[in-house]
Amino acid sequence: MTRDLRRQLKAAALWLTAFLLMVVMCVPGLWVVLSAFRPNREILAKPPVWLPEQLTLDNFAKIFGFGADQVAIPVAAYFWNSMVIALTSTVIALAIGTAGGYAFARFRFRFKNAVFLGLMLFRAVPGIALSLPVFILWSRLGLIDAQLGLIIVYVALNVPFTAWLIDGFFRQIPEQLSEAAQVDGCTRWQAFWRIEFPLARSGIAAAGVFAFLTSWNEFALASQLTRSTDSKTLPVGLMDFTAQFTIDWAGMCAMAVIIIVPALILTFLVQKHLISGLTFGGVKG
Amino acid sequence: MKRTYGLALGAALAGLAGAASADATWGDFPGTTLRVKLIGGAQYEPLYAEIPKWEAATGARVEIISRKNHFELDREIKQDIAARTLDWCVGSNHTSFAPQYGDIYIDLREVVPEEVLAGFVPLVLEHSTVGGRLVQLPRHSDVSNLYFIRSLFENEDNKARFKAQYGYDLAPPETWAQVKDMAMFFANPPAFYGFQFVGKDEAVNGRFYEMLVAEGGQMFTEGWEPAFNSDAGVRALQFFVDLYQAKAVPAGVPNYLWDDTGLGFASGSVALNLDWGGWSAFFNDPANSKVAGDVGLVRAPKGSAGIRTGWSGSHTFSITETCPSKAAAASFVTFLTDYERQMIEARRGLLPTRTQVWEDAKAEFAASGNDFMLHVFSTFQASMAEDAFTPILIPEWIEISNIMWPKIQAAILGDMTAREALDAAAKEVRELMEDAGYL
Amino acid sequence: MARILTSRRAALTPLLLLLPAIATMLFVVALPLVFSLWTSFTPYRLTRPDTLYDVIGLRNYIRLMSDAAFWVAFGRTVLFLAIALNVEFLLGLGIALLINRITWGQRGLRTIMMFPMMFSPILVGFQFKFIFNDNIGILNNALQSLGLTDQAIPWLVDARLAMFSIIFAEVWMSTSVFAILLLAGLFAMPRDPLEAAKVDGCNAWQVFRHIMLPFLMPFAFIAMTIRSLDVARAYDIVAVMTGGGPAGRTELLWTLIARVGYDNARMGQANAMAYVSTLLSVLFTWYFFRKLVAARRYMGGAQ
Repeated sequence: MTRDLRRQLKAAALWLTAFLLMVVMCVPGLWVVLSAFRPNREILAKPPVWLPEQLTLDNFAKIFGFGADQVAIPVAAYFWNSMVIALTSTVIALAIGTAGGYAFARFRFRFKNAVFLGLMLFRAVPGIALSLPVFILWSRLGLIDAQLGLIIVYVALNVPFTAWLIDGFFRQIPEQLSEAAQVDGCTRWQAFWRIEFPLARSGIAAAGVFAFLTSWNEFALASQLTRSTDSKTLPVGLMDFTAQFTIDWAGMCAMAVIIIVPALILTFLVQKHLISGLTFGGVKG
Repeated sequence: MKRTYGLALGAALAGLAGAASADATWGDFPGTTLRVKLIGGAQYEPLYAEIPKWEAATGARVEIISRKNHFELDREIKQDIAARTLDWCVGSNHTSFAPQYGDIYIDLREVVPEEVLAGFVPLVLEHSTVGGRLVQLPRHSDVSNLYFIRSLFENEDNKARFKAQYGYDLAPPETWAQVKDMAMFFANPPAFYGFQFVGKDEAVNGRFYEMLVAEGGQMFTEGWEPAFNSDAGVRALQFFVDLYQAKAVPAGVPNYLWDDTGLGFASGSVALNLDWGGWSAFFNDPANSKVAGDVGLVRAPKGSAGIRTGWSGSHTFSITETCPSKAAAASFVTFLTDYERQMIEARRGLLPTRTQVWEDAKAEFAASGNDFMLHVFSTFQASMAEDAFTPILIPEWIEISNIMWPKIQAAILGDMTAREALDAAAKEVRELMEDAGYL
Repeated sequence: MARILTSRRAALTPLLLLLPAIATMLFVVALPLVFSLWTSFTPYRLTRPDTLYDVIGLRNYIRLMSDAAFWVAFGRTVLFLAIALNVEFLLGLGIALLINRITWGQRGLRTIMMFPMMFSPILVGFQFKFIFNDNIGILNNALQSLGLTDQAIPWLVDARLAMFSIIFAEVWMSTSVFAILLLAGLFAMPRDPLEAAKVDGCNAWQVFRHIMLPFLMPFAFIAMTIRSLDVARAYDIVAVMTGGGPAGRTELLWTLIARVGYDNARMGQANAMAYVSTLLSVLFTWYFFRKLVAARRYMGGAQ
């Protein structure tokens, strides 16, 4: 009994330590979240105002154009663009990556390692080196300021990692399973879809979270390839709070909260798959 | 009471006159769609709420394809030139940036009637002219003047101590030498600073440039040889170096831009602040600023050559050469810069470019008892009319700035002496000018 | 066995499966790279599109070779990457080891741990620009209130502190990636060798050093590879926080390229720099990838 209690106490203490440490780690971020509910005057004050004198939703109201004399930020359009672009590009990247990963895991073919490494190295090209050439190419194709233009770019950003993770995952699944199904009369496609794909779900979910977060938060390329509410995403919308001479930091924080919350919810929901997905993926060659 | 009434009436009459002198009918452009790129941001947006009125009057439609701050817009316009995607009609522009864009914009004298242009402050129109062509129609201007915390200068103890230490009376400064004395006098780091300046990018080069002029120097000789590494140049740069080394300005200034200086002054921790007119309403707004109600303002001080600093720029609108409906575009930019629209912006503290608006905005402030804004407008009107000058209007200006500012920073931080820094910069600028074919 | 199909189909199927991936990368990365390679042999200026057709051979590259500012930025970028990646690894490892011992409420903690990953790099830049502001920033205010200093520490100005600050921001943003991948590694760790080692009387350090760490290394290299793939995201942070200044003290390749390319509109010169920078990224990725393959072999995994 006492030993049990002691063990529980120890576990609780450990949890508390970890929790406090996580909170400390998150402080710079929590400051942003808190700032979203405070007026500019209090956030950047000297002497500092440590305990918020007032918490307010004014910053959010201003974004939506309520009451304030500021023109509303088209946050609904940005949100919609971000959602469409991030989700579509994630789904497509997963489809392409799953196909590629399956090919790497299940087939032997010439130049396999070269192709694999090539995919990785292409991904390593810094965005700043790509931004102008992509812009010029996209403008010829009419993909500037279009959701599709950004979706294509984000698919390319996410395919290599996705393929890699899913490759590792398929290697974990015994080939015999699919073979047995094929003996029982399934086609290879059916065997994949009914047997192997469900088993790889965790890995695909983990890759999906990473892909989604990359697309959801990407700024450098989005700021080049988007122009108006037709395609501007939330991170690009953050720049709406910078005028020539001023930065509305409180407003920016409020917008940041709007960006962070959906990503956080998604991460929490997929958390279970995330760890197990990463666990099997990638390691055993 | 009676006087206020009279002023208000005067303002109203002047308003009528202003409106009548501008083009009252905006033309008829049914079915036309104007694609435009506008500068975005809280200060600039209220004007765009007026656009539906123009649409209703002309039957045209305005499609805002881009709304960003000017540094972003600049990048975007350069991309458009590169990709040959100038498929829009009207763009926000700025006098400092305009020379870079070559001939993508039309000469507005061909499409805007002379009597409309007559309503603008002549000096501002001159600044909007590049290579003899009026490539932009000014919307509002920016010039810096010296803000200060009034109570500091009214404090008897401060007055007595200052007199004892420096031998002359403490009063809002008239010269930059006095600013230096007062900045060092008020500074008590890290709790309080005497002065501050923007310390990076094109901004610090602009500050150096105006000080160079105030010290009697110049950037280039007649033959485009770099001339800023003169004694005047060293004196100009040394001003910033001395203040920094004496810790009279915040240690972070080499990383400051406009928002940092503005927010810094609003936080009440800086005595003197050279800043733009657009900040005045913000500084005096209790919701944003701790010094609200205690803000003083004088014209930018003089350098040793007796010249006031007056680095200035204007936000403008331009029309592209590729625009298929130039008449509609001309009507649109005239509308955005007309009397009524400028009054809307002036009431929010932006400095107008029309002579009449200056007067009427002041009259309105007087009528409503807003003495602070009246004083702000009087001060800035004087500097726009007498002190203002632009950067050198050549396409290479931004590139020159990018050579200058790291060297200026190196001197401020003590990595080099002012003379060394300017000599090094002059060498690089000379190479640039050679490459560009000036030498 | 299914693997032994007719040789023709076996050759065709993986190609078909990989085709979308390869096509995407060729279209989005390789094609633009060919264009920028071309421009690096021209005096291409954004504002004068016709300069795209003047070939000047290797002059942009020759200029680079003798450009001291460029090589200083190059060296600083390598230093930035080396420090940031190692610190992220160590911190991530610590966090993962701690979380791994939690038995209850772990899902919530893991979500909190990933909190910084929700922040867009541009936001991280603004956030730390304000935190590190010397006058009204929250950090100096806190230090002064706690009586730890009576100075306004110039976090973004002093040469060492400025580098520290941008590395701190980068580390804050990316440590979570390491932590989550290493945690996954810990979860996958077989129990038996750990138990056996304890029975054999190994102490905690020995267990960690000789059993856990070798097992974790592949995960570490995966994380390193992933991070080095998109470490150029740090551009957004640095551009906002310091813009490479003051006096070039935090100039990294990416800020230099952006200024030369866009502000000065000299795209040809910038693309020559970008090629060298690409080479650097590729080398980092390749290096970690090789390490990863080696670590896998050590663990006895098949190819």
